[in-house]
Amino acid sequence: MIHQLVSVKQVPDTTNIRIDPETGSLIRQGVPAILNPYDAHAVAAAAEWKEKLGGKITVITMGPSAAEAALRECIEMGADRGILISDRKFAGSDTLATSYVLAEAIRAIHDEDPLDLVLFGKQAIDGDTAQVGPGAAVRLGWPLITYAFNIREINLDQRYTLVERRTELGIEVIRAPLPAVLTCEKEIAEIPYAPLPQLIASLQYEPELWSAEEPVAYDVTQIGLKGSPTWVAKTGTPEQHQPGETIDVDEVGVKQAVEDVMKKMLANNSVVSVLEG
Amino acid sequence: MTRRFWVFLEQTSGVLHPVAGELLGVACRLRSEIADELEESGDDAIVEGILVGHNVTDLAQQAMQFGADRVYVVDAPPFRHYLNRPYTEALVSLVKKYEPEVFLVGATTLGRDLAGAVATSLKTGLTADTTKLEMGIARKNPNKLLLATRPAFGGNVIATIVCDSRQPQMATVRPRVFDMPPCATKVSGEVIQETIEIPPEMMAVEVVEVIAEEGSKVDIEYADVIVSGGKGLGNPDGFQLIKELADELGGVVGASRAAVDGGWISYAHQVGQTGKTVRPKLYIAAGISGAIQHKVGMQDSDFILAINSDPSAPIFEVATVGIVGDLYEVIPAMIESLRERKGARA
Amino acid sequence: MSTTKLQYDVIVVGAGMAGSTAAAITARHGLKTALIERGQTPGGKNYFGGALYTHALLDIYPDMFEWKPPLERPVTESGFWFLSNDGVVKMTVSGGKMDNDPVDAYVALRAEFDAWWAKQAETEGAFIIPKTLVVDFIRENGRVAGVQTDRPQGDVYAPVVIIAEGVNNLLTQKLGLIDHDIKPASAALAVKQLISIPAKDINARLGLPDNNHGMAISVIGDVSMGMPGLGFLYTCTKAVSLGVGVTLDALQETQIKPYELLQRYLEHPVIAPIIADGQLMEYGAHLIPEGGWKDMPRLYTDGAMVAGDAAAMVNALHWEGTNMAITAGKQAALTAIEAHEKGDFTEHVLSGYQTRLKDTFVMKDLHQYRKMSRFLGTHPEFMDIYPAFLNDALGMFFTGFGKPKRQLYRDILRSLTSRRSLMKAIGDLVSFGRAVIGI
Repeated sequence: MIHQLVSVKQVPDTTNIRIDPETGSLIRQGVPAILNPYDAHAVAAAAEWKEKLGGKITVITMGPSAAEAALRECIEMGADRGILISDRKFAGSDTLATSYVLAEAIRAIHDEDPLDLVLFGKQAIDGDTAQVGPGAAVRLGWPLITYAFNIREINLDQRYTLVERRTELGIEVIRAPLPAVLTCEKEIAEIPYAPLPQLIASLQYEPELWSAEEPVAYDVTQIGLKGSPTWVAKTGTPEQHQPGETIDVDEVGVKQAVEDVMKKMLANNSVVSVLEG
Repeated sequence: MTRRFWVFLEQTSGVLHPVAGELLGVACRLRSEIADELEESGDDAIVEGILVGHNVTDLAQQAMQFGADRVYVVDAPPFRHYLNRPYTEALVSLVKKYEPEVFLVGATTLGRDLAGAVATSLKTGLTADTTKLEMGIARKNPNKLLLATRPAFGGNVIATIVCDSRQPQMATVRPRVFDMPPCATKVSGEVIQETIEIPPEMMAVEVVEVIAEEGSKVDIEYADVIVSGGKGLGNPDGFQLIKELADELGGVVGASRAAVDGGWISYAHQVGQTGKTVRPKLYIAAGISGAIQHKVGMQDSDFILAINSDPSAPIFEVATVGIVGDLYEVIPAMIESLRERKGARA
Repeated sequence: MSTTKLQYDVIVVGAGMAGSTAAAITARHGLKTALIERGQTPGGKNYFGGALYTHALLDIYPDMFEWKPPLERPVTESGFWFLSNDGVVKMTVSGGKMDNDPVDAYVALRAEFDAWWAKQAETEGAFIIPKTLVVDFIRENGRVAGVQTDRPQGDVYAPVVIIAEGVNNLLTQKLGLIDHDIKPASAALAVKQLISIPAKDINARLGLPDNNHGMAISVIGDVSMGMPGLGFLYTCTKAVSLGVGVTLDALQETQIKPYELLQRYLEHPVIAPIIADGQLMEYGAHLIPEGGWKDMPRLYTDGAMVAGDAAAMVNALHWEGTNMAITAGKQAALTAIEAHEKGDFTEHVLSGYQTRLKDTFVMKDLHQYRKMSRFLGTHPEFMDIYPAFLNDALGMFFTGFGKPKRQLYRDILRSLTSRRSLMKAIGDLVSFGRAVIGI
């Protein structure tokens, strides 16, 4: 029987985002909030192993009350318990403060009911920093395996896991003692289409609420703005490039279009250096 | 007082990763940006590299050729192959000993695995995947701070992050975001060997196997010509045509995230925010719509040619020249034209 | 996973106008109601011009306006715009009855409104199951005993099922209530754009006094390029919804692409200035069942009833579909309640649904307008000739200063007869009248 924990985040759907060109700020209205896709795959992986070994899955998230919807999606995928860690005191937390909050929560859960595996998505699609998972692992003092794309084996008797991760060299097969912390690629598991009773259970599920005081008494100097050494000095929109010329094949034909393009390319020093070289 | 600008010198199998050179160039520039403060205060500043591995001390020379004044080396068997725990322990110990002001790490798979662990252990701030770094005044701090700029929200927003009140100010940078600095021929500088105790429990994680992947030999980051294919190819076989054009130009094959997610080509070829940042001399995007997550990965290429049948595709906004048409007609015509040209010159 | 059977008193398939209404009524009565919706959220799959009719909304929730429903502008001006290729004759009414309190129609956006409408059903006690597609029925002893969904362990049981699945009525067909898919001549494809324009610009360009006034316009003529169909214009608070719908068979025949039709409409010299500098917010299309009476399926069988678009309950000429759906949803719900009271879910009791509907405008109008859809298909002159003629006639009339009026009238008459003989024109008028009255 395996006890797994997945840490998830609710994020705005960044593929659907629009920026107000005048103010440079995010148009948050109408942008759907979704369960971070990498986290969803991590939950799916946990569900697969729960199926194989029996046991349970706890999911936690640090966020506003709207993040309950993300927890319910995890219940839909097979998680058993969902905890929302929410408090105004957490506002303004950067990745250091966030890893503190999550690590303490994970520690509290582990003390009550020992964990075997902790999973994070490899990065959140809004922050894209990929720092929270490694930060939590370091605080817990547990082995960290990032960019995991396949869990080959979990051996609860001999207390180890074999995980495949992808690096620039190729595939590394890592053996780590349990409990271990993984950050996951989407490949690690496919999102299942939940059985109807599981979907219904998720619709009716009420997550547990943890605050900055209960059940874990957080050190206020390590959370929120106080606990965040980094802060955003300014934001803006990326520079708009000047669009270049376009040649329409329908108008001039393929041959002419290619000729025109080749002419332009050969007028550019960089290209010439490549073609000559 | 000596203000230290540190760069992690990533090496694998005794080969220094080019990003280390790029970051040494950045560190030297950052140092020059506080010249006024140094003059006023009488402090001095130094660029130092941190090298960790086994039998890698020779690489220190290369680092000095790229601008490091001094290199600290942790050279011992536990560090032969990268593992998070021992490497984190090594860097954290050195930071505590020497108290650098700025610490830069390449945002490679290894770097991203390592930097977060180091920053958290030191309880300091880390900004990931930065695209711009400079020293500037921020928030009533008497000294200039590292202003780290990075894309957020999938590339839709650019944010400048500052870390005050904690040191070192850490940042990771993707390869190829900054140019390689000039490589000096003769250098002098100190190489200091450091010893770090690694108790056995820190070695609990093992690398059991390394399987080289077919695509892993491909390093598109440093290629001069990249021809990329995207969803517009319609099916994975389209990449054969892409490869033909790439071969003709002596370049490599790249891909959009859509093509990689679809399983048409391996992740090693992915260009974009969650893939690789590239700045080749010639970038050809075929059948790629040009969503912002892809654009941020290639928009600084010297010459960009976009081929797409949809005239409203955003890729045309960033292209130097674009062709609106069917890539299955245009690319063969281009290949032919290139071959003719080669034949004529032969 | 538990293996207890999922059992409800009523299952409603589809959380659109008909479905969420039916679920609200049965839940309100204390029946355990499941409302199964295939979309991520209710409303996600629905789309229209369009305007909702107050009478139908208040019939279900009399206090609705106190709850601030998500509605756009009230329709205080409505009518017809007859479009020629370069001009328009406008016939609209405002003031008088259009200023009733409350106003009789409101422009709305379906994604928001349907979600809100479904939420009210949830407040009444209905249980919404989203992201789940009903694929077939469970039958016991030859009658409907529940539904099969596309999820594993996805069977849901109930003695009565109300089908409100929308225009693609696959389940209605599966039950044998109709033996064919919707025919191209009976379906209109409507495409539209929602264009954001500052409210004050909308007011200025359309002559509306303030944001509390709005327009719903039927556009006839050049907009459908000779095909049977209509264009529309609706004013939201900070956006204008413009679109055009024509029958599928006409599109197949002419091979004109729907977006070309829409683009042409938006570029029309009378329309373009209305949307100048506007930002495209949304672009979409939807099928509308316009066959009416002759295309209606049987409305009930043992254990099941069908309401709304799935039952072709649309009066295209009057743009009435959502209120028919709401009314039908309510009647189906009342019939389901009666069935539970009597413990009888067979046709014997469920036929009461049809009886109830006959008493409402739904069946009365569908019957009266039964000839209308075929009429427009066989009388294309109402789309191409008459609007153009109207523009010409009035245009000539109002520029004929200094011309001998007898000559002017002769010219106007000739502008008609050059397009359509007088006898045919009179015949058209009579035919139209008969189609409207239902003879």
